[in-house]
Amino acid sequence: MLDTLHDPSSRQSPVALSWTGVVRYLHITPRAFLPMRAMPELRLVEGKGIEGDRYMIGREEGFYSHKPEEGRQVTLFELETLVALKRDANIELGPEEHRRNVTVEGVPLTHLVGRQFWLGEALLEATRLSIPCRHIEDITGKAIFDPLINRSGLNCRILQGGTVRVGDAVRNVR
Amino acid sequence: MKVTPITTIKTIVDTVEHAGAGVKLFSLVDPDRWELPPFRPCAHIDLHLPDGLVRTYSLCNDPADNNRYLIAVKREPAGRGGSARLHDHVKAGDRIGVSLPRGGLMLDADVSRFVFVAGGIGVTPFLSAASWLKRTGGADFTLHLVARGAPPLSRLLAPLQRSGHLVLHDTSTAARPEIAALIGRPSRKTAIACCGPASMIDDFEQASRDWPEACVHIERFVPPVLPADPDARPYTLALSRSNLETRVDPGQTMLAALLGLGIDIPASCCGGICGACKVDWLEGRPVHRDRVLSPAERARSLMVCVAGSDGDRLVLDL
Repeated sequence: MLDTLHDPSSRQSPVALSWTGVVRYLHITPRAFLPMRAMPELRLVEGKGIEGDRYMIGREEGFYSHKPEEGRQVTLFELETLVALKRDANIELGPEEHRRNVTVEGVPLTHLVGRQFWLGEALLEATRLSIPCRHIEDITGKAIFDPLINRSGLNCRILQGGTVRVGDAVRNVR
Repeated sequence: MKVTPITTIKTIVDTVEHAGAGVKLFSLVDPDRWELPPFRPCAHIDLHLPDGLVRTYSLCNDPADNNRYLIAVKREPAGRGGSARLHDHVKAGDRIGVSLPRGGLMLDADVSRFVFVAGGIGVTPFLSAASWLKRTGGADFTLHLVARGAPPLSRLLAPLQRSGHLVLHDTSTAARPEIAALIGRPSRKTAIACCGPASMIDDFEQASRDWPEACVHIERFVPPVLPADPDARPYTLALSRSNLETRVDPGQTMLAALLGLGIDIPASCCGGICGACKVDWLEGRPVHRDRVLSPAERARSLMVCVAGSDGDRLVLDL
């Protein structure tokens, strides 16, 4: 059974090929602890990160920059998780509070690890699921660590740079 | 590139202003003028100064003014060195690491009136609250400031004087007012708060003993002296994630034991009032001696600077 799961050729009609999502919010911050600022567009630089963001490789001003990670150039978060937090835990969490860069709707982030997809003009490769941290509870003052386990977003590497705007499509690589 | 962990908010000193006898007003901003983390009225921050000095100061500006942290520092020649360092060595353009803002008033929608009682430089936390209340118009308030002679921070107080919110009590020309007379009778629709020297805090605690606990807020300059516990016993402190153990002797703090293990714990007041050294606990029976955690928070966390153990073993989530 597990052997079958690990063999991509054995999968039938991967669900991940059937979606198209949209960019709802874009956020960056230049340094650890500072509030995320909403942006109408972001400039993604191949192999580096987001212009002006704390985790841009070479800038190293993020809370976790002392733990370098080449696959953490841009991070995504599901708008659906914000809805679920309100519905299931009565927690109001805004798109500026989860501290990922891109809030998307209609994109099954947990299915994308190891896959490539288009975010506006940029081509990304999903490297791993994001992990919640207590740091975000310190910043927001909200008990969101536990509710965010397994739905804390997606870390990605930028394979091809470009501009991403609010409203852009998020598409799988066909 | 070797990068060290970032543990403080990077700020630069934008302006330094004389604000009365022995008082300076420091405005701290982000190097790129980015917004700073938000704070509640009456909140405070730690300043991380050279030589390991960490000092806590109240924020004086309106919480809506999120591009700076404004702190007022009175030079205390007989203090622990933080105010002298700031007065004598810190200038515009210097960098200072600060903590996330902590504490402040929990604003209850049912409260329609605030009474603030301040002694001297103890007026600082209420300046942010006063600005906030004036701007939002949600509740009436009176700020009683007890000072000998001219009060500090006259520029910041002037708008409150003009609007009739400030009542000055000059003890050089009149007797010190009775705290009970200032705060009035207990009411669930009134919140009262005090910041000042220890004697004023003691009087305020006495005068407010019949008030609902949720309506009383106290800001302290100096941590209260904890009485020695004659029944204190040694206990084992275990760190679950680090897989370390140490013995905490009677009279020794949990914080000292952790620092002895090489665990880097941010701490500031070391008296259980500032909230900097909060740690989650997992097993055992902690003895909470802080003045900052709510009962609900104590079910999960403790302040290592003052907490103890009622059992032989206490396990922390470190």
